[in-house]
This record gives sequence, C-alpha cells and structure tokens, in this order.
Amino acid sequence: MYNLTRRHFVKLTGGLAAAGLVSPMFPTLGRASQGKKHVVVVGGGYGGVIAAKYIRMADPSVTVTLIEKEKLYYSCPLSNPVIAGFRDMKVQRWGYENLAKHGINVQHDEVVEIDPVKRSVSTAKSASFSYDKLVVAPGVDFKWDAIEGYTEKASEKIPHGWKAGPQTLLLHEQLSAMKDGDPYIIVAPPMPFRCPPGPYERASLVAWYLKQHKPRSKVIILDAKDKFAKQPLFVGAWKELGYNIEWVPVNEGGKVTRVNADSMSVHTEMQEYKSSAINVIPPQKAGKIAHAAGLVDKTGWCPVNQKTFESTVHKDIYVIGDACIATAEIPKSGFAANSEAKIAAAAIVAAFKGEPEPDPSYVNTCYSLLSPDYGISVAAVWAFKDNAVAKVSGGVSPEKATPAFRKQEASYAESWYQSIMVEMFS
Amino acid sequence: MHDMKRRTLVLAAGVVVGGLWGAPAMAGPTPSMLSNTCAGCHGPQGVAPGPSIPTIAGMPYNFLKLMMTEYMKGDRPSTIMGRVAKGYSDVEIDAIAKHFAGLKWGVQGGASVKGKSVDPAKAEKGKALAKECEKCHEEGGKKQDEDTPRLAGQWLEYLQVKIDDYKTNEKYPQPKKMKSQMDKLSVEDLDAIAHYFAGQK
Repeated sequence: MYNLTRRHFVKLTGGLAAAGLVSPMFPTLGRASQGKKHVVVVGGGYGGVIAAKYIRMADPSVTVTLIEKEKLYYSCPLSNPVIAGFRDMKVQRWGYENLAKHGINVQHDEVVEIDPVKRSVSTAKSASFSYDKLVVAPGVDFKWDAIEGYTEKASEKIPHGWKAGPQTLLLHEQLSAMKDGDPYIIVAPPMPFRCPPGPYERASLVAWYLKQHKPRSKVIILDAKDKFAKQPLFVGAWKELGYNIEWVPVNEGGKVTRVNADSMSVHTEMQEYKSSAINVIPPQKAGKIAHAAGLVDKTGWCPVNQKTFESTVHKDIYVIGDACIATAEIPKSGFAANSEAKIAAAAIVAAFKGEPEPDPSYVNTCYSLLSPDYGISVAAVWAFKDNAVAKVSGGVSPEKATPAFRKQEASYAESWYQSIMVEMFS
Repeated sequence: MHDMKRRTLVLAAGVVVGGLWGAPAMAGPTPSMLSNTCAGCHGPQGVAPGPSIPTIAGMPYNFLKLMMTEYMKGDRPSTIMGRVAKGYSDVEIDAIAKHFAGLKWGVQGGASVKGKSVDPAKAEKGKALAKECEKCHEEGGKKQDEDTPRLAGQWLEYLQVKIDDYKTNEKYPQPKKMKSQMDKLSVEDLDAIAHYFAGQK
C-alpha cells in the first residue's frame, strides 16, 4: 500500500474502493490472478461495440464491460439525409439492450479517469473497474477555442451537427426556416477530422433541398483546406444535378477566423458572411478521455501500433476509431473503426492466449449521398507489410457513370448502413 | 549459420504443410480476419439485413470463388466489388469463399428500414414463369449445388439489380444456359420471377 497515490487515497477515504485494489466492486470481474481475463471498452460507437462483440465471439471466457454514457446511439453516417428532410431521425437511433445477449456487461456511465499503472478506470458515477486490457474508443472532441467565438454555447445557435443527435435536428429546422435567397453557410474543418467526405455530402443534400424549396438560395462552403475527399466526383455531380454550391478553398480566403453567434455571422480574413442558417464543423481532436489519460501526442490524436492498435504510450490500452492515428490513408470513418475494432479484438485475444500478433486485414468502404437516388463510394483494402500498413487496392466510384449506377450506389449506402448497424446492435 | 539454416528449413516446411506455428492455415491474415471485414456491408456472418446488398452466407464455395475472382480480374462489372476484390490474392479469395460457404444461410431481422416488399400477385405470375429457372435453381431457388447460388429469400432489390445487369450488358458474364433464358424473358417477366424467388423462405 506504500505506493498508494493521493488520488487513490481520496477515493478510498471517500468510501469508493477501487476494484482490484481493496475488494472488487464486481466480484465476477476478476483479473488474471483469478484466471479470468477482463476487458473494459470505453465508448459504444462504431469501434467500441464491435471490439466488445468480437472479443466475446473469439473467446467467450473473457469478461467484457462496455462503458458508454448514452443509453441511445444516433449514427452519424446517414444523418445528413435527416438534415435535408428525407430521413427520419428514428432510423438513426439504436439501443444497447441486445449486447447482454452476447455476454457484454453494458454500463451507462462516463469514464473520467484511466490509471494505466494500476490498470483501472474510474467513472463519473464513482464506479471503478480494473482491466487486463482496455479498449479506448471515444471518437472525436472539438477544439472549441480554435475559431474565435465558436464555443460550446455558440454551437447551440450555430450547430456543428458532427455528433448525430439534437444538433442534427436543429440543422434541419434552420434549413427549413431560412428565407429563400439567404445563403446556407457550411464551415469545413482542416484535416484530420471525422468523416472526410461528410461536409460535402451535407452541402450536396442541403443544395438538393434548396433546389426544390428555396431556389434563390445557395450553399457556401468556407473551407480550411484546398482539396477534399472524393472532390472530382462531388464537383462533377454538383454540375450534373444543377446544385448551387460555392466552394471557397483556403487559398481563396475560405478560412474562417471568427464566429459571432449573436449576430449569426462568420468572418474570414476577407469577408463577413451572415445567415440564419450556419453550420460550423470545428477542428477536431481525439475524444476527451484520451487526452485525460495522456494517450495523445502533440497532434492531439493517439499514436498506436499499426498492427494491433495498442497505444504506443501506455501498454495494454488499445485505441481504435476516430481517436487513433491509423496510417494517414485510413480515414476516420465508421467502417474503418469497425475494421480496426476487429483487428484490436483479435490482437487482444491472441495476447491473452500467448499467441503471436495476428496479421491484420484493414478495409474501408464509405458511401456518400448527393440526392436520395445518387450515391458515390470510396473503398480500400490494406495489409500489414514490412512493418507498415500498405494499400493493396481501392479507389472511388467512376467519374462517368449512368444514373442507374448512381442509384445502385445510393441503395447500397442504405444497405451498408443496415448491415453495419445490425452488426453492432443485434 | 547452422541454426539459421535450420530455422529457415523449419519455416519453409511450416509453409509447405500449411501454416507457420501451426495456427492459421496460411501465412498472412486468417480466413476469419479476412472475412470479418465483409460483414460491414454483407451483414454479420454474411447474413445481410437488406435492402440491396446480398446475403452471402451459405452460398456455394465455387460460386463465391468465381464471383470474387471475376471481380478481382475485372471480368465482372460492379459498382464497388471490383475495387474491393483486387485487394486479395487467389489464396485469400479461396479462404474467404470457404469461410462464407461454411456459414449458414439466414434471414437477418432487426433492420429498421424495410426493403421493397414482395408483391404476391407478381410472385404468383413469376412462379409460373420460373419453370425453366428451376431446372438449375431447384426447389424454389433453395437448392444450391456447386456453382448455382441460392435465390430463395434473397433481397428483392438485389435480384432486380442483377436482372438489370444481365439485360442491359451483353457482355455480363453468365453461363450459356442462363443467358439463353435471360434473352427469352422480358424485363417484366424477369421482375415477376425476382418477386417469386425473393418471396421463398
């Protein structure tokens, strides 16, 4: 007990025994000493849920606890159609109740602290869980200070809508209420950020809505970049579909430096833009807990072993999904998080069995909708070769294609969504 | 040097008898590591919740291998599968085909958006028209042999997309027997047949 830190002391005197330190709060959740391995998963999104499931599928003797703050999950992928008014938010909503069937202990709580030495996490509800391996999948957090005036409070008037939920609906309301002739302003973030084609899918679907309901309005994208994902496909489609979208890249003054939520305006170095409908997607970093646990490097994201997704900062902690730095090529997408989760799960189970690190296979497929009947995609397969992630195949949809081809991809977008969500929540 | 040689020999022998360290059946990712990535689109265990990406669980090994190989070589037109299949070697495609052939066909519930539903009148009409089809796609499309895929209970929109592929592209790869039937039947009749097979359980 001599190495008990002050922090732990406070916890103990507060009557909150850290599991594994004194007497475990959850006796069944023992550690290696009791022969049963325990994995704690922090975050119940595209990465965390799949990691929890695949660990249980690969080795049912492992105890898995998933800690997720929210009781309901709203998917970001396919939430842009909600903003454009052709999709019900209910279709985006899923619950965690089926995970118990897979032997996953789901705790609706928030992890506030990770102790990588004691191998335990503590939560907002003052619970404590010890782990043999920890999976951290917190997604992204916003850099509230990066654009002057764009605070969490300001986002209640000028939503980001970059975590699906009430903000998605607020964006839809603002779009519906805006005056015909006013611009719809989207502020796009610098790389890296969650869902690289997302802002441009949103711009497309807003333009689709405007074309029908407010034909005198246009979308203005103020961008902190000078290029973006699937760009030739998006730009080609905007022309083909007759969308009124003005894209202002950083080298033409697109970088927004200041936001004023009271006057509903955004400022670049050259110009002020005003509208009743503004969407600011702020610059991003790894989720809060990754920072609190010191899992990030100077980029604000978490460096990991590319073969296993184990943190290169702390042993026995695996960081997957948007929060980690996979190779620059693997995007921060839902499908990539799903793929990374399966790789980390296999690595964790192999480590428990004393087996060598499994050879990973990484895949991403990502669809974007430009109208209800117009879809485009990007796909890639990577392998681990010569100690690095190497792309084996991939690419985007062809720039020239028939309307039937685009319609097929729009339908596959829906099918993609159903498959990946059912894999998580059934 | 002696040790080194010995190790190389042992490793080489390991590869020949089909696996390093005796664990996976081949070097590189295991069949399940490769195949698990398919679930994100084709559903958990290859059973798709629809509405248009097909269920691949329990499809014949030869069929799966042929499709993947044709996608890989660029012989089979596709929206996305060509881009994906090029990511795998012949050995990996073989492993993936074996993996899904070994899984059980099923119907995945829980999807919150339903696909296009089967029209009973069209299905009835399709049943009468499907007599020729059932020479290969036997037992209402349930039976699968070496390279005949299951049609019974497959997603309607997938079958419709395939019919469109067959009818609009002269060069779309298909067996001769299949092509002769496809050429004989109208799009409308084929659509009725799709409703019939999609409606089988």
